[in-house]
Amino acid sequence: MRTAFSALTRARTALLDLQNPDGGWGPRRDSPSFTETTSLAVLALPESVEASERGRGWLRARQRPDGAWPVSEAVAGPSWMTSLAVLALTGSATDSARARRGAAWLLQLEGRGYPLLARAFLLLFPRRRVVALNPDLKGWPWVPGTFSWVEPTAYAMLALKRMRDALPPEPLRERLDQGRRMLLDRACPGGGWNYGNSEVLGDVLWPYPDTTAWALLALQGGGARPVEVQEALSALARMIERNRSGLARSLAILALGAYGVDVERYRERLAERLSQVEAFGDVRALALAATALDSTRHPFQLPVSDAA
Amino acid sequence: MRRREFLGTTARAVAGTALLGATGCRPGKPKWGPSAYRRPARSTVAVLAAEDYGGPLEEIVRRGIGLCGLEPRGLKVVLKPNFVEYDPHGVVNTHPAVLRAAIDAFRGLGASEVVVAEGAGHRRDNEYLLDATGIGGILRETGTRFVDLNVDVTRAVRLPTRFTDLGSLYLPESVLGADLLVSLPKLKTHHWAGVTLSLKNMFGIVPGSIYGWPKNILHWAGIGDSILDINAALRITRFNLVDGIVGMEGNGPIQGDPRHSGVLVFGADPVAVDATSARLMNIDPRQVSYLRQAGEFLGNIDPARIRQAGENPERYAQDYAVLDSFRGLKLPTRATSG
Repeated sequence: MRTAFSALTRARTALLDLQNPDGGWGPRRDSPSFTETTSLAVLALPESVEASERGRGWLRARQRPDGAWPVSEAVAGPSWMTSLAVLALTGSATDSARARRGAAWLLQLEGRGYPLLARAFLLLFPRRRVVALNPDLKGWPWVPGTFSWVEPTAYAMLALKRMRDALPPEPLRERLDQGRRMLLDRACPGGGWNYGNSEVLGDVLWPYPDTTAWALLALQGGGARPVEVQEALSALARMIERNRSGLARSLAILALGAYGVDVERYRERLAERLSQVEAFGDVRALALAATALDSTRHPFQLPVSDAA
Repeated sequence: MRRREFLGTTARAVAGTALLGATGCRPGKPKWGPSAYRRPARSTVAVLAAEDYGGPLEEIVRRGIGLCGLEPRGLKVVLKPNFVEYDPHGVVNTHPAVLRAAIDAFRGLGASEVVVAEGAGHRRDNEYLLDATGIGGILRETGTRFVDLNVDVTRAVRLPTRFTDLGSLYLPESVLGADLLVSLPKLKTHHWAGVTLSLKNMFGIVPGSIYGWPKNILHWAGIGDSILDINAALRITRFNLVDGIVGMEGNGPIQGDPRHSGVLVFGADPVAVDATSARLMNIDPRQVSYLRQAGEFLGNIDPARIRQAGENPERYAQDYAVLDSFRGLKLPTRATSG
């Protein structure tokens, strides 16, 4: 416990040291600020920290007129990182309108389905499917106009669940339900999630800890726990016995913790790994480590009312 | 084409136009103009024997570089291996021993800087990926900097060719600013594109932070078409080194089976290197749509325009297994000429 606490202090200090003069955080030291890393750093720091407010300021200044956020100042189109910016701003009363506009943009965004010709072919030859997934279930894409994938779908579901009270109930319910079904449809045999498919050309794909953790966070609540969620929790616990990376351990702590699993021993292991995480210099991993090491708050855990 | 092959091809085309984009190249007006034309009169490709990963690889790499007439002294070199994913039971990635040999060889030949750069196509956890693949250990041992191209500083580059409708792409400054870009792919079959070699390896320079994991926008735009547009946009000096010591056959690029070929393939012209590498897998490069089109303007696939140095490639040709729907790509015999 003591190790985890001192590691938390160290992780936060390292994160503060990596903040850019413009208030944002880039993927690495001295790299231009990204919406993703800035949002994760804001979420990792207590709101009272001045650096957190400067991070929110960076986000406020970069929101696009359509409500979405870009990848960075230099890459200005609407991006999947919008979900994380919404999550970073939901806690602040002064930013609620911005978060609502971001969530509204997410609500209208959906992954692209198969074209008519492809659908007709699969109807005629269902056994000729190349990937084992239901293409009619649409989640969220990385890039508007492309297919749905696990990670952006999980981010969008988390953000929309957080913003539940500010959004029209019926389209929200429909999108969240379809997103949930899409994630369950893409689960790997044996539990967990790959980046988006469970099988290609008859060969089974294996799950990743990070995508599995995000999918689990997105699937919080919703009544009875589906078997896919139960299997994923077991698979995630198994995966981090082999995968020692800071990112995998941090996300596993956040996901397992959100489901009530005792994660103290994982926190201790993450604390032991923190030097490598710092040395590797991946700001995203460091921000998630700082979040996971904090046993007093969990920005990705949904209250029961939001999770349903 | 038999019914089974036809249905397999159509199924892939379905996935191509939906999940994965069109895999072929569209007919119509020429997709490239004189500004994109880069085909040399003749290209040198060296095939050198390398029985296993424990051999004197640095020496072999130096020899390959020399046979192709490359002089790296004073150049800022970016080595772009292929490590898209990790499978403890597979041979997905460029072997770390080959990467190590390339780092040592280019440094030994006087490169002013050598960095390793990749934007993994599936995994976002580089701390894990570098550790699991053994590449992280090589980087530490050699004191080599790694650049994650998925989150590198980018610049919008107008595509000089029109195989896709993308028009422009954000590409990483670390690659665009290099004096020499070295593609270090694995010798592999590919379940959508037929083969994945030096040219296809350039998908790894497209930043995932902008285009996602996998780089799905390229799939929607068409894999073959995207390969052509990206490679035509890279107006920097190129070199290519294919890890064909153990390649991958069947359901590549991730889930195929290992196949020992015992070679490294070198050359400055990625099209000629890929054509020779395809022939080493007993695949006719003229039947691989993107390679055939690349052979019209980016480089050479015609054996008459390729000067083979080092070993006789025919000695090392192996009949790599391909998916049913790619049987049409195979050369009629194991001969590598043609």
